[in-house]
Amino acid sequence: MTAPLIDIQDLRVGFRAGGRRMVEAVRGISLAVRPGEAVGIVGESGSGKSLGMLAVMRLLAGGARITGGRILFDGEDLAAAPERRMAALRGRDIAMVFQDPQSSLNPALSIGRQIVDVVVAHQAVSRGRAAEIAVDALERVGIRDASARLGAYPHEFSGGMRQRVLIAMAIACRPRLLIADEPTTALDVTVQAQIVDLIAELRRDLGLAVLFISHNLQLVAEIVDRVVVLYGGKLVEDADVFAIEDSPRHPYTRLLKACVPSLTAPPGPLFAIDGAPPRLGAMPPGCPFAPRCPRALPRCAAEMPPLTVEDGRRLACWNPQ
Amino acid sequence: MSAPILSLSGVTKSYPRGGMLGSVFGARAPVLALDDVSLDVMAGDVVGIVGESGSGKSTLAQLAVGLTRPTAGTIRLGGEDLGLLMRDHAGPWRRRIQMAFQDSSSALNPRKSIGRCLEETLVLAGVDKAARPAEAAALLGRVGLGAEMLPRLPHELSGGQRQRVGLARALAMKPDVLIADEPVSALDVSLQAQVINLLGRLTGELGLTLLFISHDLALVRALCRRVIVMRKGRIVEEGPCLQVLESPRDDYTRLLLSAVPKGIEGRRRPPARTSNPEFPRP
Amino acid sequence: MTKLRQALAIVDWSGWLGAAIVVAMVGAAVLAPWIAPFDPVAVNIEDRLTAPDAVHWLGTDQAGRDVFSRILFGARASLAVGIGAVLIGGLIGVSAGIFAAYKGGLAELAVMRVVDAVASIPLLVWAIAIVGVLGVGPVQVGPLSLPNEVKIVVLVGCLFSPVFARVTHAVARRVVSADFVKARWLQGAGHWAIVTGDVLPNCLSPIIVQATLLVAIGIVVEASVSFVGLGVQPPAASWGTMLSDARNAIYSGEWWLPVFPGLAISITVVGFNLLGDAVRDLFDPRSEARTLVA
Repeated sequence: MTAPLIDIQDLRVGFRAGGRRMVEAVRGISLAVRPGEAVGIVGESGSGKSLGMLAVMRLLAGGARITGGRILFDGEDLAAAPERRMAALRGRDIAMVFQDPQSSLNPALSIGRQIVDVVVAHQAVSRGRAAEIAVDALERVGIRDASARLGAYPHEFSGGMRQRVLIAMAIACRPRLLIADEPTTALDVTVQAQIVDLIAELRRDLGLAVLFISHNLQLVAEIVDRVVVLYGGKLVEDADVFAIEDSPRHPYTRLLKACVPSLTAPPGPLFAIDGAPPRLGAMPPGCPFAPRCPRALPRCAAEMPPLTVEDGRRLACWNPQ
Repeated sequence: MSAPILSLSGVTKSYPRGGMLGSVFGARAPVLALDDVSLDVMAGDVVGIVGESGSGKSTLAQLAVGLTRPTAGTIRLGGEDLGLLMRDHAGPWRRRIQMAFQDSSSALNPRKSIGRCLEETLVLAGVDKAARPAEAAALLGRVGLGAEMLPRLPHELSGGQRQRVGLARALAMKPDVLIADEPVSALDVSLQAQVINLLGRLTGELGLTLLFISHDLALVRALCRRVIVMRKGRIVEEGPCLQVLESPRDDYTRLLLSAVPKGIEGRRRPPARTSNPEFPRP
Repeated sequence: MTKLRQALAIVDWSGWLGAAIVVAMVGAAVLAPWIAPFDPVAVNIEDRLTAPDAVHWLGTDQAGRDVFSRILFGARASLAVGIGAVLIGGLIGVSAGIFAAYKGGLAELAVMRVVDAVASIPLLVWAIAIVGVLGVGPVQVGPLSLPNEVKIVVLVGCLFSPVFARVTHAVARRVVSADFVKARWLQGAGHWAIVTGDVLPNCLSPIIVQATLLVAIGIVVEASVSFVGLGVQPPAASWGTMLSDARNAIYSGEWWLPVFPGLAISITVVGFNLLGDAVRDLFDPRSEARTLVA
């Protein structure tokens, strides 16, 4: 078993909401990714998935901060690393692609300039050489005639092409870990599929480790090796993608799978989970899913179940299936 | 065969490029958002309108409720010309067609309580003052919310709850036709199904005619009897929902279907789709 | 009540300082006849040009008038012009901005170009020019005799109106395109009901912020106009006329004559600016942390 590339240990992220009270949004999540492995992080709003990954990049803003835990990248604790060290790692060893390709690119600079800037910031190369690297990266993400399009500005691209440009920028420095935060949510369905396929392709060709964050289990299942399910800031289940699909054991995972509409199920009412996700700052003391869980025991509401490990599956449930 | 409740014939909508002055000086050709669309919706029908951004599906919704006027063509509501009906802004025809919006945080006035929002609507629906509080509570009950929501402000509700209030507000006018523009695309997966099922139940209980606008074929399949596939302002395919989704005749419909995530099944049987980025964008 | 307390918790010390200054100045202006130790216009040749002491806390001027009392009464003119001009400018500008945003199309274009035209007028120069032309005496409007101050208030108000119009227009455009306005329109609600019930309440916070900042500018304008002799007329007290009278004292060593009215202007302006910043924060509770989680 190879050593993990990134080993997140008991990560906690909190922020001050309105008044002076500290609200914890990520409540002790542990997660390791091996080199070249693709892991899907699935959860709904408030599950802590985006905040947790922003914490890994140390890009928390607006009063949010890491309140506990360690983030070991190649053995180095990112949670405690100085900002200068993080700036060097970001974009070179760990790259991130965001949901909205519109706001992630500077509209006033050509895409070539933006990619070259990233390359020059991290590698001791001339701008000429950096431009070659940029062309390579753009071609790799499927932008034809890349050298001619270096001078183009973001508005000249469609949403899907912009996301490709961002992915090109992310892989230009050959990072070892790519964090993709809902990279397809803002895109049209047909384009979504292309971007998912592209990320799968890049991962294969470049040996990238990928953390793919999404609310859509179906989408994630298409490309990852392993799925981590988060709910209410806690990790509830983590298993091989086939195990998650074939035999989910946490009731939330099961229900989440069931309520995704499909093109094969008989038409008629969809399966729905009653209730709504817990609100931040109003987390139940026990399992966060207990109030909506059909299998809840009295104990579930009172006490958070510990994370158990069995056959490579991690599970936090008092009454699993 | 009865007459259609909503009928579009040869409806075209174009927007001037470059705003107001662009139209005055006619610098460039206008953008064609809807191109000669004809469509009949029968009373009680549940129709899904599917397409990607730029397909004209939202423009169609705005035209049907009278938020904008068509550049050419006519829209009839219950057999009467919508353009003529709109001369009486607050006329009784208002009750016949209402809309539910995509973004639940923009759909409700952030400074008005849920109760005030509903009661205001009931005033315009002609409900007596004395009957309004009970009616407002009944509307909330209809969409699965309790009367304890009445004094709350929109930001105190979750996205799913706000979306339900938006539906209750539309129902307060007792419309014959409801147009729902991407009503669940901003909701979490576990809440989407709740709202879709609610819509399905309401159409059944109230005999409501529903135009459900979505980019998600699977949701349309679960809810609608008929589907209309749009691309670049035109209808490319229409027909009974299951028939179209199971044996599509148009290439674009097929592309849309192939793009729906198949999950793990897709890996067991690799899909025959390409990641060709240069596929002509709609 | 607890909500109000929570909201106020985000106001920092500078906001409270601003609020304290504004409350103190408004209090001074309202209570001047009762708290002023001397008559602000009473001439007392024996006590002329006394330095600050236990009797005349801030000294006396060339005519032996008590500087402290005159500053208290001067606050009336300053605040009346500042607040009055903001009310008039706000009424005109907010109406124009909302009308343009709600109406859209050519009406919007026309209104906003007029606003641009008014905004291109150099504010202070015109105030001085117009008072210069009309004279500093009272103006007869029918049976009413309007004192010179009213002229200044109306003038400055008109000149403030483009600022309000632009701010309001920018916010109102966003609000008008919100779905809740469309929903009201679809219900057949009247335009007046939509504008007053849905559009205006959601535009208020930037307007209020702008208003507090413009009160400060109004105070400076009043002082400037009075300084050149076209505002408040002697012997009535105003911070501007006091500074004007103190011009010679700068050379002859009576430092208290220019310093205290100057300080009064500066402190009040700073107070309104700090309050404006705090009000902006109060009305914008969407902290970045909340958007992150959503």
